[in-house]
Amino acid sequence: MSASVDLADFLPAYLAEAEELLGTGHRQLLAMEVSLRRGVAHPRAVRELFRAVHTLKGLSAMVDVEPIVDIAHWMETCLRNADRAGGRLPQASVEPLMEGLREIEQRVRQLAAGKSAAPVPAGLLARLEALEVAGAAGGGGVATGGAAALALEEALASRLSPAEREQLTTGVTGARRAVRLDFIPGADRAASGTTINTVRERVASLGETVKVLPLSGPTVGGGSLTFVLLVLTEASDAELQEAAGGPPASVRPLVVPATAEAPAPGLEAPGVLEEEEPEESRRSGGTLRVEVSRLDEALERLAALVVNRSRLSRAVAALTAAGAPTRELNAILQENARQLRDMRTAILRLRMVRVGDVLERLPLLVRGLRRSTGKAVRLALDVGDEELDKAVADRLLPALVHLVRNAVDHALELPEARRALGKPDEGVVRVATHGRAGGLLDLTVSDDGRGVDAQAVAARARVPMPATPDALLELLCRPGFSTRDAANATSGRGMGMDIVRRIIVEQLGGELALETRPGAGTTFRLRVPLTITLLDALVFECAGLRYAVAVGSVEELIEVDAARLARPAGAGGLCLLERRGSAVPLVSLARLLGLAPGAAQDAMGAKALLVRQRGELVAFGVDRLVGQQEIVLRPLEDPLVRVPGVVGATDLGDGQPTLVLDLAALGLARGGKPSRREASAKAERYLS
Amino acid sequence: MAEVLVVDDSKVMRDMVVACLRPYPGLTFTHASSGLEAIERLSLQPYDLLVLDLNMPDIGGIEVVEFVRGQDRLRELPIIIVTTRGDEASRARALAAGASRFMTKPFTPDAILAEARGLLEGGRA
Amino acid sequence: MTVLHVVFKVAGAEYVLPAADVLQMESFTGATPVPGAAPHVAGLVQVRGRVIPVVDARARFGLPPVERSLDSRVVVAQLGARVVGLLVDSAREVLKLDPQQLKPPPSLVVEGAHGFVKAVAQVGPRLVMLIDFPRVIGEETLDGDGQR
Repeated sequence: MSASVDLADFLPAYLAEAEELLGTGHRQLLAMEVSLRRGVAHPRAVRELFRAVHTLKGLSAMVDVEPIVDIAHWMETCLRNADRAGGRLPQASVEPLMEGLREIEQRVRQLAAGKSAAPVPAGLLARLEALEVAGAAGGGGVATGGAAALALEEALASRLSPAEREQLTTGVTGARRAVRLDFIPGADRAASGTTINTVRERVASLGETVKVLPLSGPTVGGGSLTFVLLVLTEASDAELQEAAGGPPASVRPLVVPATAEAPAPGLEAPGVLEEEEPEESRRSGGTLRVEVSRLDEALERLAALVVNRSRLSRAVAALTAAGAPTRELNAILQENARQLRDMRTAILRLRMVRVGDVLERLPLLVRGLRRSTGKAVRLALDVGDEELDKAVADRLLPALVHLVRNAVDHALELPEARRALGKPDEGVVRVATHGRAGGLLDLTVSDDGRGVDAQAVAARARVPMPATPDALLELLCRPGFSTRDAANATSGRGMGMDIVRRIIVEQLGGELALETRPGAGTTFRLRVPLTITLLDALVFECAGLRYAVAVGSVEELIEVDAARLARPAGAGGLCLLERRGSAVPLVSLARLLGLAPGAAQDAMGAKALLVRQRGELVAFGVDRLVGQQEIVLRPLEDPLVRVPGVVGATDLGDGQPTLVLDLAALGLARGGKPSRREASAKAERYLS
Repeated sequence: MAEVLVVDDSKVMRDMVVACLRPYPGLTFTHASSGLEAIERLSLQPYDLLVLDLNMPDIGGIEVVEFVRGQDRLRELPIIIVTTRGDEASRARALAAGASRFMTKPFTPDAILAEARGLLEGGRA
Repeated sequence: MTVLHVVFKVAGAEYVLPAADVLQMESFTGATPVPGAAPHVAGLVQVRGRVIPVVDARARFGLPPVERSLDSRVVVAQLGARVVGLLVDSAREVLKLDPQQLKPPPSLVVEGAHGFVKAVAQVGPRLVMLIDFPRVIGEETLDGDGQR
């Protein structure tokens, strides 16, 4: 294999992430603007915006989009100065920064349309540059309000920025305390789901984490690393300690109350920091933020219950067959099945977000488009109280953004043109939900624009006129369709439709349909599942095919050293490898899958996944590890392919389903169990 | 056979790095989306190569480098720092902290692959 | 009253399915094998985002396998909530059939096709066979928890 990776292949993924970063950017900038109007600094918004812009710059450089790199570079410089000045930014900076984001957004759209990004408008860089100078000049005179002392050793304190120090000392109001929470990570803790990521999530639901500092040095329990979380919180020490997995985690106060007595000077009125709380955490009194992994854990426990229940019903069936009176037992079983279903529904509901909340960003998007296109457009949101799994919502939003943007950019006519057609000046883009049924949500994105000109589309794709709306949609969704030329204005559609379809159809397993009437408008119908299952998976290759397994099911990944394998006689040709002093049977996955029936016994693969099968370790030999990634698990429901050991399928991006395996179940279903036990026993002797 | 830890808060960037290095035979990749996650993983499991973004939400690449170099066990771990134009000041600090190589975006797949090869094979010799 | 049917070939013989049951026809670029599935299950393919099983008509009819060619097609058909593909040698035509034309299959055909032929029709010089799709995809073996 040669190293000829084409980074241009990452353009679609880049566009999706750029979209997200711009979303973050807009949100932070608006938050900054609100704070500025009240004369308050918003250091966190500045930092977040800086980071979004910086990431955009780097990514854009990788996929070679120089104009975005330039704009982002100057915005970043201006924001870096503001960050150094404790998050203070001159009011006059907001508009050029807003303009910068808009210009980047416009170029992202051009790229999505297959065009190249336009050069940077002359005036903008000058304005951003001017900001930098002003910012640098004004930077020195900022009071850091560092009156209150932090009870923190210098080694740690010196790693805080002035803004962070200020945040900690001024953030103590009423019941809110500043504390340090020490979390000691460990392999056993990681195995039980307590990692710095989950601890951070848990602590986020208890308060505001200002900073997390890693601290090397011996710890309780023989580790060498402590994470020090600096938190503003109203929670008790016990709650915080619990969030960090219990002892040896510890909690200590950080700001000595006596010095915090004096009111902070100048701008910092009490309650200022509340401005920084994410709105959703305070929306209604009765909400609770829970990290998704906890819910997944609950679901896993439930799955165990369901398995147990089917054992129970088999046992009852056997009783019935033997002539025992089981009427009441059966009634209880039925009731139990219903309760389990309800329980599952209740757990899944916890992960649901309201569609209305998901679409929050669209009005802002349309406002920006109104300005950049000069079109009069109104966004009508006609959204019920339907709810979606967060994982679905996160994927759906970029698709909706694409569709709304297309509608404004390419479907709606300019006001004069609309008037000439007898339409109202103001075009309408409507996003509506249409209830849910059978675990699916129906949405439409419609406009009253010019409709898709099927003839123009066909001409551009150099194919005969599509006979049905489906065929037309098929053409619009061809990858690179819109890259042919710049004739989009006449065809009305085609911007990144392949991305939309990729998300809705390939990723989410939903449906996408099109209705269009020339001159009257276009409606896209989307149908998406309300929930999807995400899985952190290891992807590997075996006999030329790729497979995935849940990371959590694999105890260890090891190299297979063919020279050190033991092949005891009479063990049915089974191989054994030595692992920490005990013998572990090694099964060739290719053989188990029936992919290499003729392969030599010692063709064991180079890597092995260690999995616990009924409590005993078994190694599954595979050829090559491809990597670790999050996948969308698609269950296989058809009886033709519902087989033990195969959990479902996923799309790794090649359009071919990749099987997701449950190695333990596969081994039990297809492996020779008794011989393995025997072999194990023999091998203990052999190896000792 | 070597384990690579790829640390970047941008998923696209991580995917790009992995795609660039994939032609090198026998590499396995683990992703970390933050500096803290990287430090945790490094403290729990050995790796053969660290590819590190400088700018991340919680703690930056420099602090990760400082942590790595402060650990006896990790003193020899090769580190490739991925930076962006404008990071020059941080770059100098990262170098002082003990980063092995720098890749400034944009870099070509071949360039980072060559660095990785040099570090992985150099370390063996 | 005529009904539109999709015509496809397997080992030289012509078969039909009501077009109303056929969602689409796709060229065949390989399927992901599913270990432990019945031998006539060629594997999984992704069709418009849907992951569906494909039944190899040759294997199902007990015919010798052939190298797949550019002509090979997956006839994607819907049966109730199930969507299943049928891998055939070629499929490129539709045919209008009057239900009157459909006759019970001669016993020789029934035997030869393992009971997968429901009826036959003479269309000019050609004999086309209406296949029993539910049977081909093993509907009769559907157990109780098949609905969900």
